[in-house]
Amino acid sequence: MTVNRRDLLKAAAAAGALNLAWPLTAGLTPAQARAAAERLGAEYDRAPFTLGVASGDPQPHSVLLWTRLAPEPLAAEQRLPEVVEVDWVVARDSRLRHVVARGTAPASATLGHSVHVPVSGLAPGRHYWYAFKALGRTSRVGRTKTAPRGRVSKVTFAAANCQAFHDGFYAAHRGIAHENVDFVIHLGDYIYEHGQVGGVPEKHVRDHDGPEILSLGDYRKRHALYKGDKSLREAHAAHPWFLTWDDHEVVNDYSGTGGGAPFMRRRAAAYQAWFEHMPHRDSFGGMALPDPEIHRVRRWGDLLELSILDLRSYRSAQNLPDGTILGAEQKAWLKRTVDRAPDSWHVWANSIMLSQLRGRPGGSYMFTDQWDGFLAERKEVLGHVHKSGLEDLVVITGDWHSAFVDDVRTDFDQPDSPLVGTEFTAHSVTSGAYSPEWNSANGPLMGKANPHLKYFEGNRYGYDVYEVTPRRFTTHMRVIGDRRDPNSPVTTLTKFHVDRGKVGSYEDEGTKGSAAQYRRD
Amino acid sequence: MNLVVNGDAESGAGGTADPVTEVRGWQVAQGAPALIAYSLGGGYPTPSDPGPARRGSRFFAGGNSARTALVQDITLPRTGRTGRRAVDAGRVRYTLSAWLGGYAGQEDGARFSVEFRDAKGTPVALSVLGPVGAGDREGRTGLLERTAEAAVPPTARSARLLLVFTRSGGGTSNDGYADALSLTLSADGGHR
Repeated sequence: MTVNRRDLLKAAAAAGALNLAWPLTAGLTPAQARAAAERLGAEYDRAPFTLGVASGDPQPHSVLLWTRLAPEPLAAEQRLPEVVEVDWVVARDSRLRHVVARGTAPASATLGHSVHVPVSGLAPGRHYWYAFKALGRTSRVGRTKTAPRGRVSKVTFAAANCQAFHDGFYAAHRGIAHENVDFVIHLGDYIYEHGQVGGVPEKHVRDHDGPEILSLGDYRKRHALYKGDKSLREAHAAHPWFLTWDDHEVVNDYSGTGGGAPFMRRRAAAYQAWFEHMPHRDSFGGMALPDPEIHRVRRWGDLLELSILDLRSYRSAQNLPDGTILGAEQKAWLKRTVDRAPDSWHVWANSIMLSQLRGRPGGSYMFTDQWDGFLAERKEVLGHVHKSGLEDLVVITGDWHSAFVDDVRTDFDQPDSPLVGTEFTAHSVTSGAYSPEWNSANGPLMGKANPHLKYFEGNRYGYDVYEVTPRRFTTHMRVIGDRRDPNSPVTTLTKFHVDRGKVGSYEDEGTKGSAAQYRRD
Repeated sequence: MNLVVNGDAESGAGGTADPVTEVRGWQVAQGAPALIAYSLGGGYPTPSDPGPARRGSRFFAGGNSARTALVQDITLPRTGRTGRRAVDAGRVRYTLSAWLGGYAGQEDGARFSVEFRDAKGTPVALSVLGPVGAGDREGRTGLLERTAEAAVPPTARSARLLLVFTRSGGGTSNDGYADALSLTLSADGGHR
């Protein structure tokens, strides 16, 4: 299949047809754009459920179901009635015979004909299957799972991040779809906002649908383009997801609180489109759309407490003495969460690197868009973790397009300062990393410059799977062979463990010899 | 009938550029707004600047916070021509309108939105107005009218209004301005 697609791209390029087909040219109608995209590899579910189905925010008795009616996925607005009633059904079996809940929800043009259904009355810790029906058509069947209650002996979940459409096919999501996990967390950079990159097929496998996106219609089309990769839809349909975001859901390196009116208009459009395309449960807090409330605490029985952070909406500018990455209210909430933490594993879903990262010994921070640009707040939060006596903290992170394992210390410049947790930064799904040459040269330099850094690998793409028991937290670094291959097989590069009640991680003896550009031991 | 309580900033404390902690009809969710008199001067919008024709004596401004947010929850009518039965039959439409603005060439702004919710609080419709940029105002201090109109989806039972003022760049004053906020329902349309 890969070879055929590459051959097709090359043949199209040789025949001069690529400009008519891919990159998608501005003059195409939405239907033509979709046809062109499909000729070159994009695939959509049957209309009107072209973008698939999804579930999210699982709780013991409730889960959020999502779909969006988009007969023409690459159109800014759909040729549909202003409000379409969408039937939904939840069953205990995949054939939807043993129905446990059903209902009807309105899909409004004002929300892009998206539907968000919080289904309640479900039993804890079990799988359910669901589907939607509208305009005489039925969607694919999705599978979801509620959170368990009480004593739990094991939870397995995956984390994905950074999925630049043009940089590769979503073999990683294909892998996630086939994983036996309880849920998935997306750590952000679900879409990218910039324009076309060109270089198809030699440098990129595909491209964006137009120039940099600015309006609500632009963001809707971009989300729909990304969901044209069937593996992404399969991963959504296979498991419930928790979601946070990073910068590219709006624009590179933005601060949610800075900027003038034109930027605020753009941010609101991006946030709205994000909500319209995600299985996100909103409106349980004090705000409302178009400012969705992302940060939340969820529990997986007595085994895992998951704190999902929003590091974009409330942040100030970087490198200010009194700067904030969390915002005052979220910081107070996180500290309260730490204070009230149960005796369990504590996982922070953290879009952008928490640990300090200097590029070379004595050098400056590599990126102050991450927590390195908010030093006082990091010290305050990690100091609070230490003072409160919180144990068994694991931070899972995206953004960097490379894998890192760090010891989390209260003061990264003091190697003997208290060790309070472990940070696992996962490979990206597709978004380009540094070159192998850069990685091999700079891995050891970063290792020297950051005594808390234990591992770095930047030559691969994939996702993490976390296997958690009362005794041990294990991170499986899953990698794909070739992001140009939508069916690229998934393997486990290495595994790291954290033992309950002990701070710090260690690499599995069986995978310690795997390739990496830095390893402390 | 306008469903917004104190959408014209005429009620309660205020009158100067000093922020207030309470605003009648609204919950102050972030920051602290100012309810400024058009007669105050000092560069703030005046009775002769662009703005609502019948503008009363005061308007909303962002106070001194980088972000100020006001929230108002409205329960939709239970009965009548725009009541629940009419909503569920798809016969009710809404119009959201506001005058939104800012100061001269600055990009401080105000945004006004409505999120319709079903009985569980799930969003079922959304309209967002503004913010109005300096370019829209041609660099002139004042407020411009923005409106949106759409169907009230079946199952809608409440509406949450969100009025957000944002300050751009440095300085102290948050010069996003808003006035004449309105949400009305009509039973003469239905879905299109």
